[in-house]
Amino acid sequence: MKRNWVLILIAVMVLGLWLSGCATTETKKRPYIMSQQGTLIWDDEFEFKPPPSGWKIIEVEVGGEFGFGFMRVDSGPFPSQSMFVYDEEPFGCSTQFENREAEFFKRYLWSSAMSLDMQILEKQKVQVLGMEGLAVVAEGKDPVKKEKVKSKVVFGKRGDRVVAFYLTQWRPIDGIYDVSAFEVFDRFWGSFRYLKKSFYETIAQDP
Amino acid sequence: MEGHQRNLSLYEHFNARVVGVSRDDVTTLTYWAKNLDLTFPILSNVTGFLGPYFGVNPSPEIKGYPVFSRRTVIIDKRGIIRYVRDGSPDFKDILLFLKKMNKEGGKP
Repeated sequence: MKRNWVLILIAVMVLGLWLSGCATTETKKRPYIMSQQGTLIWDDEFEFKPPPSGWKIIEVEVGGEFGFGFMRVDSGPFPSQSMFVYDEEPFGCSTQFENREAEFFKRYLWSSAMSLDMQILEKQKVQVLGMEGLAVVAEGKDPVKKEKVKSKVVFGKRGDRVVAFYLTQWRPIDGIYDVSAFEVFDRFWGSFRYLKKSFYETIAQDP
Repeated sequence: MEGHQRNLSLYEHFNARVVGVSRDDVTTLTYWAKNLDLTFPILSNVTGFLGPYFGVNPSPEIKGYPVFSRRTVIIDKRGIIRYVRDGSPDFKDILLFLKKMNKEGGKP
């Protein structure tokens, strides 16, 4: 009889441990909250209008090419998809937009490695992050893979460093681009604002 | 390397200097640095002799061709290695470490 009680006690303990394990896996904190105004507050640092449903969040924590963004699988054959991101460390070093744009497009989308023939279609000054920025629309075609990509890149400033927002929309070479993704992207960067100073702005100031 | 270039003024603020080390030859590195507008020195370590000084050993994955893995090393003014991290550099982590060292007086 005593042996049965010991077995029951062990079974209850195992069940308790198993359930507590389940509970901990459910509590992963999301990096964002929705404000009462319908904006999304990311990491208590960024605020912006989120895309409509159908867009999935993508994020990279360290060492990636971008910080976070959203993607959507579009209708049509592969590679029909759209993705836009906010990037604190866009390719290049210059703090002047025109120079940075040239540096950026040398490496953007691994142009040379992917045999993408990137052409700048449009370039204009825009108001972004409360000051003047630069918006560039480009298109790349890969005749080998029979794919194409249209992209809009918006360069802005955070402190004295250049940041970028960019959208890429991939299609088969004879596919049609969907302008609605560009409109969602425009609302994203147009509404984007900082809720606090950046790491780079504060690290040299702190005691 | 572009990330280091973007942070040069902050490195200077914390009394640090950055030097790149690569297995590529001088001609390749000259072209590469010019292409990326890098202004800090890059050492051509063609024979790989510098690797062991920083604990960087040839990758065992490709036999007969000594490919070295990526590593960030911070050396203080006395020549002591104070920071070692493998993989892509974490610039925020590097800057926080330099700031701490600078405050301690152990200028890199």
